[in-house]
Amino acid sequence: MASYHPNDELLMRFSAGMLSNALGVLVACHVERCPHCQEKTRIYEQFGGELIAESDDAELPADLLDKTLARLSDEAEPAPVKVSGNVPRPLQRFLPDDVSQIPWKGMSKAIKEFRLPFGDDEFDARLYKIAAGKQLPEHTHRGREFTLVLSGSFSDNAGAYHAGDFVLADTSVMHRPRAHAEQDCICFAVLDAPLKFTGWFGALVNPFMR
Amino acid sequence: MSTHFAVEPALEMLLIAIAQQRDQAAFRQLFNAVGGRLKGYAVKSGANDKDADELVQETMLLVWRKAHLYDPTQASALTWLFTLLRNKRVDLLRRNKHNLISADDLYLEPESAQSEHDAEPLQQEIESDRNQHIVRNLLQHLPTEQRIILYKVYFEGKSHSEISDELALPLGTVKSRLRLALSKFEVLARQHFLWLLIIQMTNY
Repeated sequence: MASYHPNDELLMRFSAGMLSNALGVLVACHVERCPHCQEKTRIYEQFGGELIAESDDAELPADLLDKTLARLSDEAEPAPVKVSGNVPRPLQRFLPDDVSQIPWKGMSKAIKEFRLPFGDDEFDARLYKIAAGKQLPEHTHRGREFTLVLSGSFSDNAGAYHAGDFVLADTSVMHRPRAHAEQDCICFAVLDAPLKFTGWFGALVNPFMR
Repeated sequence: MSTHFAVEPALEMLLIAIAQQRDQAAFRQLFNAVGGRLKGYAVKSGANDKDADELVQETMLLVWRKAHLYDPTQASALTWLFTLLRNKRVDLLRRNKHNLISADDLYLEPESAQSEHDAEPLQQEIESDRNQHIVRNLLQHLPTEQRIILYKVYFEGKSHSEISDELALPLGTVKSRLRLALSKFEVLARQHFLWLLIIQMTNY
């Protein structure tokens, strides 16, 4: 089970259906595998139920019920298919079934990326693959960067993060993440601005600068 | 204190009738009971009149198609209706944009089908009713300043920092008010009967 979770604000906006595409998918990927956050989500959905209970009884067009009845069909929705494989369901339609087939774009030997086309005006979404044992140049962030570890693990000066962990970095965080040695670390990241490297080395090779 | 925990049990019965008998009369009753409030919610969350009507219709069609997936041991009828409305809203909002995300990908159906709950269905049903009842109590007793923040999250999708700008409150104050509200609900997550009783009693 994950040790790091989205904060209550994000979980509540998620439950209310109010997150933008990229953040919504990111939080969904965490919640899908986190019983702790599923429980919280359930409570926040109960808030929603109560807000409906106390909503005004707005006037509907007189013929809306009949129009709706006319559209009832016999077929019932099939029960949802259970999630299989190691790609979280919210990402499945954007990735090949076999994760090893992801067409990574090289940024450097240490890190590769795959951009996710969510049609989100507010955020960029992408997968990162940090090669096993590799360390990234020291960097900070121009804005917020939400990261979900999908597989493998990495560490920085603040802690160690494993599959399922949800990490938020912002302009106050300066770090040098290193993937653990056993396997490549694949992360799903949502950013509201490109990364900005701070070291002299970063200034030369900064693959994030655009 | 009240010992009767039932919360609008009639809605649950209507959903079960729709699921098991494909009962159109029950569907009409449900539509008349909740349609107006679903629209009220949709309007508060920013839909215009026409979109709100469409959202109500689409949500009710989803009720008809998914009623057999409703599990009264997991959620009250209103909470379940909320999730359908939320999902439809997400899908309708995105319909005009070039993107492929659907609410079904974001929000998991609970895995438990009703049949898996044969063990002690009544007990669990009572607990889900009790939970909803306590959520209602807590919401009704929230101080206005905390309620406003909840409303801004649910109806306007505002983040803490946006709320702090809008209400001209320090960010820390917004966070601590929401935290105060949430800390009361956190207890629910533990699903511990004794705790639930204590909250129940302190609210009367």
